[in-house]
Amino acid sequence: MDKIALQNTLPCVFEGRDVQSEIWLQDVTFQKGQTYLVEASSGTGKSSLCSYIIGYRKDYLGTILFDGKDIRQHSVSDWTSVRKNSLSLLFQELRLFPELTAMENVQIKNGLTGFKGRKEIEAWFERLGIADKTDAKVGRMSFGQQQRVAMIRALVQPFDFLMVDEPISHLDDVNSAIMCDIMMEEARRQGAGVIVTSIGKHMDMSYDKTFRL
Amino acid sequence: MSLVWKLLRQHISIAQFAGFFFANLFGMFILLLGLQFYNDVKPLFSQEDGFLKPEYLIVSKRISGVSILGSGESYGFSQKDIEDITSQPFCKSVGAFTASQYRVVCSLGVQGVAQMGTDMFFESVPDRFVDTDLSQWTFHPEDGVIPIVLPRSYLAIYNFGFAQSQSLPKISEGIIGMIDMVVVLRGNGQEQRLKGKVIGFSSRLNTILVPESFIRWSNARFAPEADLTPNRVIVEVKNPTDDAIVKYMNEHNLELEDDKLDAGKATYFLRVVTVLVMCIGLLISILSFYILMLSIYLLVQKNTEKLRNLLLIGYSPVRVSLPYQLLTIGMNAVVLVFSFIILFMVRGYYMNTLWVMFPQMQEGSLTAALGLGLCLFAVVSLINIVAVRNRVMNIWNRKE
Repeated sequence: MDKIALQNTLPCVFEGRDVQSEIWLQDVTFQKGQTYLVEASSGTGKSSLCSYIIGYRKDYLGTILFDGKDIRQHSVSDWTSVRKNSLSLLFQELRLFPELTAMENVQIKNGLTGFKGRKEIEAWFERLGIADKTDAKVGRMSFGQQQRVAMIRALVQPFDFLMVDEPISHLDDVNSAIMCDIMMEEARRQGAGVIVTSIGKHMDMSYDKTFRL
Repeated sequence: MSLVWKLLRQHISIAQFAGFFFANLFGMFILLLGLQFYNDVKPLFSQEDGFLKPEYLIVSKRISGVSILGSGESYGFSQKDIEDITSQPFCKSVGAFTASQYRVVCSLGVQGVAQMGTDMFFESVPDRFVDTDLSQWTFHPEDGVIPIVLPRSYLAIYNFGFAQSQSLPKISEGIIGMIDMVVVLRGNGQEQRLKGKVIGFSSRLNTILVPESFIRWSNARFAPEADLTPNRVIVEVKNPTDDAIVKYMNEHNLELEDDKLDAGKATYFLRVVTVLVMCIGLLISILSFYILMLSIYLLVQKNTEKLRNLLLIGYSPVRVSLPYQLLTIGMNAVVLVFSFIILFMVRGYYMNTLWVMFPQMQEGSLTAALGLGLCLFAVVSLINIVAVRNRVMNIWNRKE
């Protein structure tokens, strides 16, 4: 997948409102290999945008296209394939499994494609400072620690686009920087596009383009 | 798979599944047992009589209370009576029973040991009415062996009345060749010892049947002057269920000797009871199936968030449905296997009892019960698979 295009897209709930946005009701294209920042205020539909692109919600007007194909036409197996091989999303609400350990949470995703070896995953845990938590239940970890587990989980798959929804809201600057490094290393290795959203604090790196939502 | 299972087995209620397991086991077992028991017992009611075709009816004159006192009424069939029956439209042909008119003493033994002796009599019908290999059904005075067909009830009398009380071996129809029968005929100032050979049993004949050739030979020899008016006749009819037969019999004060009707009634009740039992089994099975469906729905409901997250990180609906589908199929399979095991055990028990009562009984086939069990398993599992899949698709489509 090389392009994600939004044409005249608007969440249904915003219909009839006077919307000032660089994304909603615009023609926007995200290119593979580029880095984007989507800055938003609360209530401007940032999480909705992520939900539309991952195929979780369809309550929008206009069109969203993957390589020119309307994603409303995607079948169940199309979406499964996209989520497994082309598009990785770090959810704002993380969507980890609290009953599983940190490592199991990563492995349950890695098991789909067997994309990363255990060594590589452990190295990421190490760099993010949660190596001692690999066998701890995620439910007992702090939100900041969970964010780091969720980031690792987002990276253990092949992807053309990586979408991260407020990835560092609960991290200090040092850990934010490490997370940013790991993310970009992996994105570059895969030649992927990166879309970062934020409502204030955002990853300190150079973006090819910034949108105000 | 193991991680997905570790995740999805959360909230599985052992109590609910145990409830389903036992309820379904109970229901399935009752259902299968009903069918199997019916199949095992049915032959007892519908045993074909090897010596008398269904379209042969045995007819005698009705004995009334008054005639016993000696009104002079005859119980024999005159030539005119026989001609009258022959002329009826339902009748194909009529044959007379001919009785032995001399004294017969018979002793029975098993493997050379004499066991009991009694006075008795013989009767014959024309050979064309006897449905057996006619080469066996002949008598040659020089051989000295009389082929005999006994009423089946005699076997029961021997097995339950005699053998039981005298600690003698029970005899089944299969080993009837072991019975030694010595027959002594007396009359007309002569006596002769002959061997009897039991070639079979009949449930429809209330007499000791021998070949016509033997009766003709023996009556001529031991009672040449006796009156041969038959007391019973055998009638070949076109259709045994014809109403005209019963009407004619009633009008002419005749009686049909037949247990066919009783067997028919018994089979009917057996069928009613079986259907009733199977319905109860089926009802329990359906209710238990309902429990299983509710348990699965509840489980999916409780794990909705996990299922949704698995779908969002790239698991296919097929993949996340699989653990619950395998769970239900596994449970159904275990229930099936256990019901078969219990069925075999219970069947072994009642078959032993039945064999003691009816040694000649033939085992019914297991195929129907096994087939029904497998069908039920397949249908229930299929519905389970579809139901789980639908639930997961509801989550996919955000309807849950």
